[in-house]
Amino acid sequence: MDDQACPRCKTTKYRNPSLKLMVNVCGHALCESCVDLLFLKGSGSCPECDVPLRRSNFRVQLFEDPAVEKEVDIRKRVLKDFNKKEEDFSSLNEYNDYLENVETIIFNLTNNIDVMETNKRIEQYKRDNRELILKNKIKIGREELELEELLEEEKHIDQIRKKEIVKEELELKRKKIKEKEDLIDELMFSNQDAKKIVNEFAQISQAAAKEMESSKPTAPPRASQFSTGIKFGRTSQQSAYHIPIIEDGPLYTYKEPEIVVDGPEPPVWSEIETGRYIVHMRPETVEERAGGYTANIACMRALQEAFMGLYHVSRPEQGQSS
Amino acid sequence: MFPTSTQKKHWMFTDELELQRLREEANQKFIAKHRNGIEDVDGYFLTIAEERIFLKNYELQMRDLCNKFNPAMPKAVIGTSFHYFKRFYLHNSVMDYHPKEILVTCVYLACKTEEFNVSISQFVANIRGDRDKASDIILNNELLLMQLLNFHLTIHNPYRPVEGLLIDIKTRSQLAYPERLRPGIDELLEKVFLTDACLLYAPSQLALAAVLHAASKIHENLDAYVTETLLGPNTQQRLVDLIEAVRKIRSMVKSVEAPARETVKIIEKKLEKCRNQENNPNSQIYKQRMQEILDEDDEKEMERYKRLMQKHAQVDAQTLGIDRISSPGN
Repeated sequence: MDDQACPRCKTTKYRNPSLKLMVNVCGHALCESCVDLLFLKGSGSCPECDVPLRRSNFRVQLFEDPAVEKEVDIRKRVLKDFNKKEEDFSSLNEYNDYLENVETIIFNLTNNIDVMETNKRIEQYKRDNRELILKNKIKIGREELELEELLEEEKHIDQIRKKEIVKEELELKRKKIKEKEDLIDELMFSNQDAKKIVNEFAQISQAAAKEMESSKPTAPPRASQFSTGIKFGRTSQQSAYHIPIIEDGPLYTYKEPEIVVDGPEPPVWSEIETGRYIVHMRPETVEERAGGYTANIACMRALQEAFMGLYHVSRPEQGQSS
Repeated sequence: MFPTSTQKKHWMFTDELELQRLREEANQKFIAKHRNGIEDVDGYFLTIAEERIFLKNYELQMRDLCNKFNPAMPKAVIGTSFHYFKRFYLHNSVMDYHPKEILVTCVYLACKTEEFNVSISQFVANIRGDRDKASDIILNNELLLMQLLNFHLTIHNPYRPVEGLLIDIKTRSQLAYPERLRPGIDELLEKVFLTDACLLYAPSQLALAAVLHAASKIHENLDAYVTETLLGPNTQQRLVDLIEAVRKIRSMVKSVEAPARETVKIIEKKLEKCRNQENNPNSQIYKQRMQEILDEDDEKEMERYKRLMQKHAQVDAQTLGIDRISSPGN
């Protein structure tokens, strides 16, 4: 730990315990004060490799080896675009080839091998798979959101559980105190044999302890229920994203209504107009027409009703049915 | 459409004998239920003949009520009321439900089904006597009536077929001024409803009978129109059936006569004794039953209130109980 030192000002952790090393995309470390000094203007070049850097891109070094930081950085950047999943490939071999390819790219970039070539390869890949990348990005974003929610929920449940435990302990204590008091009371005021009383109370407290134990296992199931509950919650959340599918019944097909006349055929629509039936009707007013009424509807209805059932003959078997 | 209606399916009967049989059944059923060891059945209960006379009297009253109704009612309402009234007493005895109550209920229900909008207060304004009581009776009986009609409320009346036939006559026959037929048609249709014809023949047949009756009254002959234009060729058997139906309807109408007032009075007196007191709004039993129904509602309310109070008490006890337990530990 102590040999951690800023490569520029040579300050070590030993001399300055509050030393904070920062790294940027190039993978070279600098201490916080050096960053403040060098990047006063917001941007500048790395003192070791002369790569132009921005101050806002500096972050605290997490790993001892700054090269690892660089790799992590690059990996993050590369995987943003190389975000294919196993489902996107037809065979496992293809997927493995792809993974290896990704690793090669990362390795090359980290160790400055064929940087230009590799960057070109990335650009090419981006162009070829633009749609798929976008799609997977959205998917990943959604999954992350779900995960966050999940964590939030777990935290909440944890809190509840903790509270319960505290409460239980308190109660237990209270009970014990009460038992003791009871025992003392009994010993003070009772005329019975002291040994017997002590024994009795011991038995009672034992039974109570047993009861507690038997009731304890009920707590873990509740917890597991929660954890399964999370799973349910998650699936239900996922299903909430889907638009519910409404099952369509069979398509409606128009069927000409069958008219039972039981009498002579009434005139058809065209005959109402041409057969001069309509002449004998009061023509509809403008207001009536606006409401959808026309005289020939009423004319047709009257004629149909006049003709329907003219052949009606009550035969004995019809009468019996009612 | 009449040929596919419940009217044709359930309320068209073969002949007058069948109607007689159904009415007899209703009468016998009532007597069997309320006999209670009475020996002189014919002397105590109404006979079929007496029931018929009594109903005829009320049909005439119904006609007068409808004709004098204010605001004037469309004819279809009158026809529908008569249908309901006749259908009701096919399966129920006069002794069970008094016709004067069923009569007004039928008219009120017909106003609704025929879309003739009158409020209950407007309606009872047309009735003599205690109007509040009348509206109570009507509204109490309305649902019962619908139920006993088996909810077959659509009625095909002969009035629209008459219009259709007149249009057809104007279009396809040589008759001069067919509007002259109107008085004769109205006269016959009014009388038709005092007979059982509407339970035996289709509305269009009633309409045709009315038109032919009116034609013969003004000494015109429409036979050629009926045989050649209306039915057309090759319908010999149909024609015979139709002529028979028309003839029968006209003869039924001719035989209508108002019952003598004295007989009606005697029957009325007899009915007061033997009617089903549970359905008599003036009887003690009826009032008692209505009171019971009201009380029952009240009781239900009370019970609910009681239960609610108990629940409250329980909740209170629980909360208080918890307080009591936790205090010694503190």
